[in-house]
Amino acid sequence: MLGSILIKISFLACLLSVIYYYRAHLSNQLSTASIGRGLYHVSIVSIILAAALHLVNILTNDFRYSYVWSYSSVELPTPLLISSFYAGQEGSFLLWTLFTALIAVFLIRYTRKMAYENEVMFAFGLIQLSLLLMLLVKSPFAFIWETWPGEVEIGAIPANGRGLNPLLQNYWMVIHPQVLFSGFSAMGVPYAFAVAAMLKRDYTNWLRPATPWLVYGALVLGVGIMMGGFWAYETLGWGGYWGWDPVENSSLVPWLFSVATIHTMLSQRKSGAYVRTNIALSMLCFIFVLYSTFLTRSGVLGDTSVHSFVDPGMWAYWLLIFILTSFTLFGFGLLFRRRREIPAPAVRHSTFSREFALFLGSAALASAAIFISIGTSAPIITGILEGKVTAVDISFYSSTTLPLGIAIGLLSGIGRLLWWTSSRKEELLKSLLIPAVLALVGTVALLFFGLDDVQVALFVFGAVFSLFANLEVGRRIVKGNPKFAGGAITHVGLAIMFLGFVSSSVYDDKETVSLYKGKQADVLGYQLTYKGYSPIDHEKFAFHVEVQYGGKTDTVSPIMYQSQFTQGMMRNPDIMNLVTRDFYVAPLSLEEGAGAASPRTFMLKKGETATVDSITLKFVDFDFPDTEKAAMLEGRKVRIGAAIQVDRDGSRSETVTPARIFESGEVTEQPARYADMYEIQMVSMMPNREDRSQSTVEIRVVRLQDSSVAAEADQEILVVEASIKPYINLVWNGVIIIIVGFIVTIVRRTQEAKLSSKKTV
Amino acid sequence: MKLKSVLGVATIIVFVIFGSYSFFETNIEYTDVSGAMRLNKKVQLKGVWNKEKESHFDAAATQFTFFLVDDAGKECKVVLDGAAPNNFEIATSIVAKGRFIEEEGYFHATEVLTKCPSKYEAEAEEVNKTV
Repeated sequence: MLGSILIKISFLACLLSVIYYYRAHLSNQLSTASIGRGLYHVSIVSIILAAALHLVNILTNDFRYSYVWSYSSVELPTPLLISSFYAGQEGSFLLWTLFTALIAVFLIRYTRKMAYENEVMFAFGLIQLSLLLMLLVKSPFAFIWETWPGEVEIGAIPANGRGLNPLLQNYWMVIHPQVLFSGFSAMGVPYAFAVAAMLKRDYTNWLRPATPWLVYGALVLGVGIMMGGFWAYETLGWGGYWGWDPVENSSLVPWLFSVATIHTMLSQRKSGAYVRTNIALSMLCFIFVLYSTFLTRSGVLGDTSVHSFVDPGMWAYWLLIFILTSFTLFGFGLLFRRRREIPAPAVRHSTFSREFALFLGSAALASAAIFISIGTSAPIITGILEGKVTAVDISFYSSTTLPLGIAIGLLSGIGRLLWWTSSRKEELLKSLLIPAVLALVGTVALLFFGLDDVQVALFVFGAVFSLFANLEVGRRIVKGNPKFAGGAITHVGLAIMFLGFVSSSVYDDKETVSLYKGKQADVLGYQLTYKGYSPIDHEKFAFHVEVQYGGKTDTVSPIMYQSQFTQGMMRNPDIMNLVTRDFYVAPLSLEEGAGAASPRTFMLKKGETATVDSITLKFVDFDFPDTEKAAMLEGRKVRIGAAIQVDRDGSRSETVTPARIFESGEVTEQPARYADMYEIQMVSMMPNREDRSQSTVEIRVVRLQDSSVAAEADQEILVVEASIKPYINLVWNGVIIIIVGFIVTIVRRTQEAKLSSKKTV
Repeated sequence: MKLKSVLGVATIIVFVIFGSYSFFETNIEYTDVSGAMRLNKKVQLKGVWNKEKESHFDAAATQFTFFLVDDAGKECKVVLDGAAPNNFEIATSIVAKGRFIEEEGYFHATEVLTKCPSKYEAEAEEVNKTV
């Protein structure tokens, strides 16, 4: 009860606050603004209390709440109970709303100093209002008898909940969603500033206060995305850190827009151009956050994703569409109305200027975002165009983003070497020379190590070029003022990350292999021996695989178990981290020796095949020559055989002919053998005289006990997918360097914004 | 400025053409068994697992073989690279990504996605069990 009331109070207070802030914008009265501010704080406090209450409900196992019942249980330890908070749709919307409210606490103080409060808080309030509206429809405070009216008795108190999906029972789940959602919340700030700029008709000064927030949002969202990638790689066993899955893509798209916006904002601040572009891009950052939420939460992607999305119901579906279209129409409607009065100064910089390089860079980033967004939306697009739902193959993403990646690499090097407004060509060429030569040498050297694709080679060239260009620029900046080194550091990190992408994803090696217990197998140059399994938890098992390489021995223990909760097989990989590579072992299955399954019997029509172990048997035809037909008519001894073509992978096929011999009413079997490993018997035959292709034979395949196949077949077989990811550490190190660069930039831009606000006041 | 606009427009056109070409080229159609046999390209084959017929894992080839029946009731042998996917046994429907190999007479899948039963209907009952 209390929880629902708190959400209603928060919603009403927020609604009134938005109205007051708008009136304050029109009248410019301080008293009106302070009412708006007070109401906004009421809304913030209510939502904090609601979130606290939600946490208490979970920690005290109050299973009367549908949400707590659905995502928690008494067995869960406390840290995992925290991840129950946002394991479901309702909880994650509450988390998003909470972070939006917490950002508002700081944003109110910040914008008040910058004289931007009325307009920014009006627009930001609209965002909070929509999230609260979502919570009104999908409340985490619904009781079980409200969720299933008539089916569950009013006042019933379940003794236990359903529990948390084991996929989410992970320390990454305790931290990853918080980071991602605070990124989503932060993306609302540039939208609010862009709307505020249009309301105030102040098209230049808004950039200064907006920049630190934008960079902060890009940082947090970026960290969240990479955490998700690391989680997928290290724990979920997706085999890589990026799978172009809709859920991953949908957080990448707003991030790309935010990074593009950072670049055009920088350009506008120097040259005064790209005013409308900046307003539009700032709004798109948040609009694409909403669009991804719609894609991943509405169930519209259906069967086309690995993630199983819970259908949120029609109400939530239409509400999400309503919120998305409202924010798009409001923002772009305003932009359309203001289009004539927004100054569009003539672009004064030359083609060889940093401004233009920045513009091209963000155009490349925005194009990548658009391509990825189109790919992710493929089920919707084809649903409308062709009337049937299809998805794009993940090769779509690499083939469209790779050329853009080349451009981004090159531009991030050239752009950093160019001067503002215009560069002298001779000077530019001189500064380009060293990084270009180094990049060329580096790329050519890598050609000898198996670099064999033109586009990938260009991508590597771009990345190495950018690396050296930015190292050089960074060196110069650090000598002057280290505070300004954020951009150089970020681009060095980007270049390293790009190189890591190529080494770990283009030149990785993968092999699916069956490991017979105790028997060594050579996999990708590593000697693997499956040693057996041991229980590590009440339902989990670790499978120990000894790895020998270069004279060293190590053990990896991937985990595999049948989950009670999902009724399915759960698998966690194990990774051997080496300096130059990761050796990644993902378990697929444990096959008990097939010994018990011998002999096996099959009914085969002509041309049909059956498989035993690694051999396939195909029924070719009956072996019943005319001489035998004559013998049958004369009542003599008759032999009828069945020609069975046996194929074993790697060796040529062989035809064997098991037969039955009929002599004065007696039938004797005449089995055939294949490679001293199998005996094949003809059990019965059903020739079809009308349609000979319908003739059927019944055969039995017996594995010969003394054969090597039989010895292998009695053992446990662990099937794993082993892969080598060369230099994957470059990816993680690149990410860390990028994060450092972002932080340096945020510090610089915040100081700058504060300084400029002091000057204006 | 003129040159820049021309270049800009040209770049955009190239991007649009390239993008839509990639889009339709990599689009993987959902289809049934006869569709997979007719289209000689990568498709997503939708159906259910035929539990009557034998399915097995071949450790030497690391392939999982099973029989899939589509909505029209047509059956097809599917050979998947790797082991049976998560939740295969309880899936209400499965989608196999790959192509039909005419010479071999089976659908060669590189990936099989499983769709699990919605827990919703059973939920109220489940809640009552825990009361």
